[in-house]
Formats: sequence, structure tokens, C-alpha cells
Amino acid sequence: MRHMKQLTILFLGVFVLFSAGCAPKINTVTKGEKFPKMYDQQPRSLLILPPMNESTDAEAKDYYMTTVEIPFALMGYYVMPVEIVNDVMKQEGITNTEMLYDLPLNKLQEYFGADAVLYTRIKKWNTSYMVIASTLTVSVDSEIVSTKTSEKLWAYNGTVVQDLTNRSNGGGGLAELIVNVVATAINTAAADYVKYARIANFRLTSSIPTGPYHEAHMKDQGVKIIDQASTK
Amino acid sequence: MKKIVKQLKYVVPALAVIILVGCGAQPAKPLYNYASYSDSYYAYKKNMTEESTLQLEKSIQEAINGTENSRSGRVAPGMHANLGYLYLKAGKANEAIASFTMEKTIYPESTLFMDKLINRIKAAEGKKL
Repeated sequence: MRHMKQLTILFLGVFVLFSAGCAPKINTVTKGEKFPKMYDQQPRSLLILPPMNESTDAEAKDYYMTTVEIPFALMGYYVMPVEIVNDVMKQEGITNTEMLYDLPLNKLQEYFGADAVLYTRIKKWNTSYMVIASTLTVSVDSEIVSTKTSEKLWAYNGTVVQDLTNRSNGGGGLAELIVNVVATAINTAAADYVKYARIANFRLTSSIPTGPYHEAHMKDQGVKIIDQASTK
Repeated sequence: MKKIVKQLKYVVPALAVIILVGCGAQPAKPLYNYASYSDSYYAYKKNMTEESTLQLEKSIQEAINGTENSRSGRVAPGMHANLGYLYLKAGKANEAIASFTMEKTIYPESTLFMDKLINRIKAAEGKKL
């Protein structure tokens, strides 16, 4: 009899797990359907411009910049060396990002010879401290624009929301909660943001049709990705 | 009882083999070997010191010399250029030109930009003479 009761609970539990798993409907789309212009134009090289910072953290720009080169190169593109590009822009008197984003694409093409420009916009780079839970959020919008036709070839968002709360097994009294909040604030160093920015970048770049230096180049039209436009 | 123990003698090694084979399947190598470039570049941006600059240079050298640990067997885009830039900042003009030349040899996509940098160095060096 006791076994029956246990079984019932087990079945209910499994049922809940299954239905919860199915609940959020995520629309998928293939890379070929979503970004056909990438396959038409097949850019070889990307000029990664210094990021635009819309977050509340002034340091986000410099730190995020160090994370962008690798993931885009690993998707098979030639990426212009970020550090040099950044310094050349400064030397040319382009000191703020607004000026940078107003630069005509043909000028960028003339100077750097890149097939396309990669714009990144840091939307969120912050930690919210609450009594029960603290979360770190890194969110980046990114797009690739052709320097030849000025068309947008690809755009995607990468977001990571990380729960930072230390869940100890103690009694969980108010004093402990306060200790946790303080500990989180101290522990959230810039390095943590960079770590999560790398994950956000991975989410971004996995949606890109692969470039000429990747084995899957022009063979990945059927790869399914999350259709962000329809889930927003 | 003895029989079961005897059977176990075979079962356990067999299981071990299965588990080991499963773990033996190596994760795919990355397209490029970046060594510790990412962390060094971050540390360099965070705190530009002689030490962090040296560490960045070391990481890039490791990435350049470690291409066997990559699927492409090629140095990652920008590595030679980044190294050249460090040389340039340290006043080593000839080494900088050699690195920028390497970059465009491996990646012709960078030719226009690398030539611009090389010409700049040559112009600056010319003035010095």
C-alpha cells in the first residue's frame, strides 16, 4: 500500500517534468532561411569595431573588446586584429563610438579592406542585488553589415543571466542572507563578467553561417538555430 | 558463490574497458590554438604593465608555436599582427614588419591593412635617418 503511494508521487513527478519540459515553445529556423545574404555574399573578413556601450558600466567596453576576436575567428572568418584597429581609430581622431558608427562603410572598406563590418552593442553588463537572489546579466546585440552593399547580413543577440546566490545548506536566517548579498557584491569582479561575456558570444556566434576557414563553410544552410525575432 | 565471483572477474574488466573507451573519445580539437591569449589580453587591458605585456607576448608566441593542437594546423587570424604590434610599441621596427608580413602571407585578407602599417613604419623609420 505504501508502495502504491510512492509510485503515484513518482508518476506525478515525472509527468510534471515532462510537461514542464515541453512548455516554452521555441521557434527554430535554419541558418539558410534566416541569413540568406551571408550565403549570397560570402564575406571572408570581418572588421570588428570597438563595441558600443549602452550598459551602466563604463569599463564594459574595454573588457568586452577582449572577448570578441576569438569566437568569430573560430566560426571561420578572418578577423582584423581588434587591438590595432581600436588604436588606429583613436589616432584618426575617432574617439567616441557614435563617431565610429557614423563612419561611411566605403571608407572602412578603403582603409581596412574588410568585406564586412561587425558591430557589437553591449546592452546589459550588470549585477542586480536582491535579498533572495543576485543575478549577473551580460547581453550583447551584434550585426554584420556588408561594406560592399551596405546590407545587413546577419544579426543576433547573446544573453547570459547567471544566478550568483551562494546557496548554503544552513538554516538560512536573515543574517545569512545579508552575508550572502555582501559576498556576492564582493565576488563579482570584472573577470566574472568576461567569463559570462564569452558564453554570450558563443551563443551569438553559433548562429552565424560559417566562414571560408571553417570545414562547414557553405554546407551549414540546414543547421537549426533559435529564431530570436519570433520569440521576442 | 565461487561461480559468481568468477563471472564478476570478467564483467568488471569488461565494464572498465567500455567506460575507458567512452572517455577515450577525445573532444574535437578547436579550429585554432589560442593558448592563453584570451586571458592574457584581458589582463593586459585591465592593467597595462611591463609584466602583463610580457605575458601577452608569451601567450601569442605559444599560440603561434602550438598549431599542431588545432584542426586547421594554421596560426589563428591576427596572431602575427598582434605580435607585430607589440614589437612596434617596443620600438622593434624590423620585427614588427616581419610579423605583419607573416600575417598577410597566411591571411591575404589582411594585405591592404598590413601594407598600410608596414608603410607607416617605413615612413617613420625614414624620418629618423
